[in-house]
Amino acid sequence: MSTAAVARDTGARLAEADAHGLNATLHWSQACLDAEASRVDRMAAPGPLAGMAIAVKDNIVTVEQPTTCGSRILAGYLSPYNATAIDRLRAAGALVACKANMDEFAMGSSTEHSAYGRVKHPLDPDRVPGGSSGGSAALVAAGVVPVALGSETGGSVRQPASFCGIVGVKPSYGRVSRYGLVAFGSSLDCISAFGKTVKDASRVLSVMSGPDPLDATTVNRPPMAVPAPLASLKGLRVGLPREYFPPDLHPGVAAGLRRTIDAVRQLGGDVCEVSLPNSAYAVPTYYIVAPAEAAANLARYDGVRYGPRKVGPGGDIRALYQATRGEGFGAEVRRRILVGTYVLSAGYYDAYYRKAQRVRALIADDFRRAFAGGVDLLLTPTTPTPAFRAGEKTEDPVAMYLADIFVCAISLAGLPALSLPVGRTDGLPIGAQLIAPYFEEERMLAAAAALEGVIAAGSEVER
Amino acid sequence: MSIGRDEVLHVAKLAELAVREDELNRLVDQLNRIVDYVAQLDQVPGDRIAEAFIPGPQAVPLREDVIAPVPLSRPPAAIAPEFVDGFFLVPRHTAMEDQ
Repeated sequence: MSTAAVARDTGARLAEADAHGLNATLHWSQACLDAEASRVDRMAAPGPLAGMAIAVKDNIVTVEQPTTCGSRILAGYLSPYNATAIDRLRAAGALVACKANMDEFAMGSSTEHSAYGRVKHPLDPDRVPGGSSGGSAALVAAGVVPVALGSETGGSVRQPASFCGIVGVKPSYGRVSRYGLVAFGSSLDCISAFGKTVKDASRVLSVMSGPDPLDATTVNRPPMAVPAPLASLKGLRVGLPREYFPPDLHPGVAAGLRRTIDAVRQLGGDVCEVSLPNSAYAVPTYYIVAPAEAAANLARYDGVRYGPRKVGPGGDIRALYQATRGEGFGAEVRRRILVGTYVLSAGYYDAYYRKAQRVRALIADDFRRAFAGGVDLLLTPTTPTPAFRAGEKTEDPVAMYLADIFVCAISLAGLPALSLPVGRTDGLPIGAQLIAPYFEEERMLAAAAALEGVIAAGSEVER
Repeated sequence: MSIGRDEVLHVAKLAELAVREDELNRLVDQLNRIVDYVAQLDQVPGDRIAEAFIPGPQAVPLREDVIAPVPLSRPPAAIAPEFVDGFFLVPRHTAMEDQ
């Protein structure tokens, strides 16, 4: 198919998704798509992603389309530069198709917290696609684009990938440049990839990865290779952390994991039980560290540096800040800014923030010990349940946070991990999570591609 | 630990966030629920002290200490309503009228 035809087809699918009320896109135009196709056609040599249309989460800056982070406070914001990841993807021949809807400033697990309305699950409009990268996940799951960019701070790609039945890969912290990713939790944030297949997601990650002088936290290692699927898992030892298989795990999810464990064995791999005891503290640790970093990062949206000015009562400068931020941010963002400010404030810093940083080290140590003990990869459920109903958790923030119970320890430890679709329960997708040691993405992706080849992800699991 | 209305208003002031009176009670409830939940870190034994952990490279590389323009795809004049003599012109704030 010619690049121009890709642009036309993608435009038609985006229009259809919008018409069906998926609400997964925030900005796109046929003119932008056609211009992208012309640009790729003019390239001297076709890159490794030539003609691949890609949806981009709306917290990754792009010159051609606005970047709003799903927030009113950035309505219409146009960046004067592209994120490094975007520059690299475009140089490889990819077409930026659209900006995807998301939880405001990436804070949420259901994409119900966007100022531009909730994203619907492609298989059941009454359910959520997961979040915060729910728009990107829904677009891939609905077949609108083959790949999409999301961002992870505490599982925001793996969790929606699991809910939507697609592949979602979070790289090691430092593998992909954060330059141009609007900051939420700077010690956690990672640009990550969705794909219909492990190979497509790997191709995108490979192009984006590698050191970047514009992001000092990128690690000086060569770009990730796209691994070939392993023919067998012989010699591979897969650890099952017992804390990730609680007795009250949803029976459909448990059945999906049994099916995955059987597939590991069928391919010749060994399975053993391990323990990550401090993962029990991952969600509370995350909900101290991430809001604290967010409270600092979001200080810039004050009506002077960013955001439309609102004049507050009294008319002084602080009233301007308070009115702009009070009106510009949605409820979840305001809650997290308040929590972050509280845990950093005098008298509470040691009790909350310092303690959380130390527990974070214990959580990371657990993973180090498991891998040092001879385990090559870890296998867990990605989420405790399949996609939940819209509105089910919006009134109870802690219930919403617990949707990330199996994903956020990995983000705290900075490790690479992915969610692989492994079956359905009552028609809803189930994801299995593979976790690898730091910078061992290739091993993880090669094993995932092998499992993908033998697991019938579209079929119901036997409970 | 319980957070009261006054403490929420104090934190909101520190965070430069206006909080409406009609949302305050709900916010107090939700913040208490969140803070009660994260307080379970108190159960981690105090003797298991570890250094704070941040992922990423062992040492952040320093770049040359030279001034270099940030590469922009559109000039500053194109991203601001007014840009004159190298300055962004912004609306004057009423609080500064007397200065």
